[in-house]
Amino acid sequence: MDIEAIDISSRLDEEHRRVFDSLPMTARDWSDIPALREWTAAERAKLPAAPMPQDVEVSNRLVPGPPGGPDLGLRAYRPRGLPEPAAAVYWIHGGGTVLGQADMNDPYCANIAAALGVLVTSVEYRRAPEHPFPIPLEDCYAGFKWLALSGAEFSIDRDRIAVAGISAGGLLSAGLSLLARDRGEFLPCLQLLNAPMLNDRADTRSSHAVLDPRTWDRDSNLAAWNAYLEGNAGGAGISSYAAPARAAELAGLPPAYVNVGDLDGLLDEVIAYAQAMSHAGVPVELHVYPGAYHGSAISIPDAALSRRWIADELAALGRALGVQRAPEAAR
Amino acid sequence: MEVKPIDISARLDAEHRAVFDALPREPSDWSDIPALRARFKADRAAAPQPPLPATVEICDRRLPGPAGAPDPRLRLYSPRTGRGPAALYWIHGGGTVIGDLEMNDHYCANIADRLGILVTSIDYRLAPEHPFPAGLEDCYAGLEWLFASADGLGIDSGRIAVGGGSAGGLLAAALAILARDRGRLRPCFQLLVYPMLDDRNATRSSHAITDPRVWDRASSLAAWDAYLEGRAGAADIPAHAAPARATELAGLPPAFINVGDLDLFLDEDIAYAQALSAAGVPVELHVYPGAYHGSPGAVPDAELSRRWIADELDALGRALGVPAGD
Repeated sequence: MDIEAIDISSRLDEEHRRVFDSLPMTARDWSDIPALREWTAAERAKLPAAPMPQDVEVSNRLVPGPPGGPDLGLRAYRPRGLPEPAAAVYWIHGGGTVLGQADMNDPYCANIAAALGVLVTSVEYRRAPEHPFPIPLEDCYAGFKWLALSGAEFSIDRDRIAVAGISAGGLLSAGLSLLARDRGEFLPCLQLLNAPMLNDRADTRSSHAVLDPRTWDRDSNLAAWNAYLEGNAGGAGISSYAAPARAAELAGLPPAYVNVGDLDGLLDEVIAYAQAMSHAGVPVELHVYPGAYHGSAISIPDAALSRRWIADELAALGRALGVQRAPEAAR
Repeated sequence: MEVKPIDISARLDAEHRAVFDALPREPSDWSDIPALRARFKADRAAAPQPPLPATVEICDRRLPGPAGAPDPRLRLYSPRTGRGPAALYWIHGGGTVIGDLEMNDHYCANIADRLGILVTSIDYRLAPEHPFPAGLEDCYAGLEWLFASADGLGIDSGRIAVGGGSAGGLLAAALAILARDRGRLRPCFQLLVYPMLDDRNATRSSHAITDPRVWDRASSLAAWDAYLEGRAGAADIPAHAAPARATELAGLPPAFINVGDLDLFLDEDIAYAQALSAAGVPVELHVYPGAYHGSPGAVPDAELSRRWIADELDALGRALGVPAGD
């Protein structure tokens, strides 16, 4: 596909451009995954950290993993005064299924807990390429199942648990929703898909247009898919649980809230998935924000655009979970 | 295309369903356009209307029409105090066939009031008596007047947005293209509310909405044929008539597009947003679940409708550099 690359920097507002232009122009080196994990964590640490809200207790526990697998880490963000039973957001972090860890979105997760008065968890799923599909997905499924069905530690209303994730976390959230529908043990009340990776074929127009290594570019997207799918990205016979863009039957999925920036290489596959779900009768809310790039709402949380993005997400979560937003979270 | 019709009522929340289920089910009779227009006006007259905000002065004026055509009327909604130097040039809907200025009096006055800007609404000529390009040229003439009058009105000509709902969205999108192509008027923003864009009516969603209580497939086909003199779907329909036909979208103003997931324009609106974005135009797109064509106006007090309007006002305010007030 012959497509002109997007000049992202020229399409950003001042708040975004300042951050974006300071990012290293270094292409990610996918040949050395341990080094890449260290490098991305170190680069992330250079960005100004968002403050942690008061009155949210953060704790870690191990919960049963999938059959035959080890126990899973589940990080919980519990706001003061959490009602019983509580609603919950089951968060899945991003990083192409290869990078990132459960605590990487601490301020973001704690903010949801504080603003909505809900329990938020973040799952420490095993990562590719050491643990390719379906391991990360089965880990996410097992963690959700524990939260929804165990009832031991948290008093959770199992009909009011949203699954939510960004990028590869959006992929795993969409995959989890498909898996939950088909297994019939539980169903999230909402799937919040923030700029989800969905299409291992990487054949859309936008997937060809984002080539800047300061963001989630085509090279990284292809490398991540191949890590997750053991080198078979774009091949025949990829499961729709692995790549939801492949799914032929979307009826019966939970209502979806889908958001993406117009400078994200995943734009087209995200829109296509939202549209396909809508055609299948799934209630879909879709927001495309101009001037946002992959993950910018979380990495530049103070920008006006990011605050709007987050406020819209909080409002959507609040509606789906039947809780009001706290006044301090208002736009 | 074999597409199962959407059961709209089953996908509405209680606030919307109560209104929707009460709507008459008889299909619109497009063979008698005067009767169709009369019914539209009668339906509106029968519905209770809240008073218009007293803070907004409303007046009509005539302005020069396109060459050889009558002078169209432009309605101006101007806040009595504290008006900022920006304007929204609004175009009403109605499939290019029905509709009038009065139908959006509240909508326009509310925007003028909340944003503190001048809002204008153009009384363009309707099809089938006046098919494409008559209505569009009226819209262009009105926009030309607004730009020419900007100084006198205290408007910064860099802060004029065009906008419209449904067929008004069609005319606003086409006006943005026409303005770019003629190269003299530069609106800073296009607000396209569930715009009608594609005369081919070939998308999945255009096949899925067949309920006569909303703007359904039969109405869409009839309206396009009225606007295009029976040639809807023909090979040579230009982009100025049906913006979905445009192959060159670069250089258009930033766009805001909103549409409900139960609207037959869903797919064409998404496709247009995507095409604009691919051409480098900044695009904000919102798809709202449980909204149908016209529902924000029909059920204005519903939470979803209030959010819809708030998002529109917020986007307009950002584009025009004026914050939305309460």
